[in-house]
Amino acid sequence: MNPNQRVRSPLLQSARARWTVRIIGIAAVLSTAFTVWLGLWVTPPDQVQGDLVRLVYIHPGVAWVALYLAFGLAAAASLLYLWPRTRSLFWDRLAAAAVEVGVVFNVCTLISGSIWGKPAWGVWWAWDARLTSTAVLLVLFLGYMALRRVPAEPEVRARRSAFLALFAAVDIPIVHFSVLWWKTLHQGATVLNPDLSPTIHGSMAWTLLLSFVALTLVFVWMLLVRYRIGVLEDWLGSGELDAALRERQAEGVAPDPAGDGSEAAAGAPVPEGVR
Amino acid sequence: MRYVIAGYTIILSLLFLYALQLVWRRQRLTRAVERLEAAPASSHVPVPAHSDPRTESR
Repeated sequence: MNPNQRVRSPLLQSARARWTVRIIGIAAVLSTAFTVWLGLWVTPPDQVQGDLVRLVYIHPGVAWVALYLAFGLAAAASLLYLWPRTRSLFWDRLAAAAVEVGVVFNVCTLISGSIWGKPAWGVWWAWDARLTSTAVLLVLFLGYMALRRVPAEPEVRARRSAFLALFAAVDIPIVHFSVLWWKTLHQGATVLNPDLSPTIHGSMAWTLLLSFVALTLVFVWMLLVRYRIGVLEDWLGSGELDAALRERQAEGVAPDPAGDGSEAAAGAPVPEGVR
Repeated sequence: MRYVIAGYTIILSLLFLYALQLVWRRQRLTRAVERLEAAPASSHVPVPAHSDPRTESR
C-alpha cells in the first residue's frame, strides 16, 4: 500500500450497519425481558425442585453462549487466522471480541450455577468434573486476555493468541462430555443429550428455547460492539505510534535503526533553522 | 424463591453493566478518533495497523 494514501477512517460505518446493531440490541432487550417474565411468572414450578427450576431459564442459556458460541467462535476465528489462505487481522479481532464476551458469560455461568447449587446440593461449590472444567476454561481464556495485553506487533500478538485460543478450546468438549465421562453432581444434558430427546416439555421447553435465543441475541450485540471497539483501538494505537515517530522526526531526532546510538544516518528531516 | 431472584438479579445486572461499559468504551474511542480527524492533517494522520507498511512487509 502506498504510505501516502488516505486511509479509510474507522468512523465511516454505513447507516445499515449502525441500524443492524441497534435492531439486534432492541431485539435482545425485548426477548430477554419476555424470557424473564415467562420464567418468573408464567411457567409452572417443578414437581421436584419447586420454584428453583426457574433458574433453568438463565443458567443453561449463559453456559450455551460462553462455551459453544463465544469460545467456539474464538477457536474457529483463531484457526482461520492461522490458516495461510484466510489470514487476516479481522479474524484476530473477532476472536478477541468473542473471548472477552465469553469470559463475562462464563463468569455468569459459574455464578448462576453456584446459586442453584447451594439450595439443590447444599454447597456453593464442589470440585465436580463439570464445575472444575468450566472454571479451568475461564482461567485459560483469562490467560488469553492477559496475553493480548503483552506489547507486540499486531501479527505477533495475533499468532500467539490464536495458538492459545486453540489450546484452550480443547477444554470445550471436556466440559460438554464431563457429565458423561465422570460421575458428577451436575445433572446430565437436558436438551443436547446423547439420545437427542429433550427431557423438558410444554411451556418450560418453550421458555428454555426462548432464553437461548434471547441470550444469543445479547451475545451477538455485545460481539458487534466489542469488535468495533477493537477496530477503533487498533486504529488509535497505531496512530499514536506514528504521531510519536513524527514528533521525534520534527525534533530532529531520527529513529536509530542500527541501535548503536547514532542519530545521523537515518534520513531524519533536517529542521528549518539548521539548513 | 430468594435464590431464584438473587440469580436473575445478579446475572442480569452483570450483563447490563458489561453492556454499559461496552457502550461507554465505544463512545470514548469514537470521540478520540473524531478529535484526531478534526486536527490538521499535517499534525496527525493515523494509519491503521492492518495497512501499516511496517507490518505488511512481514
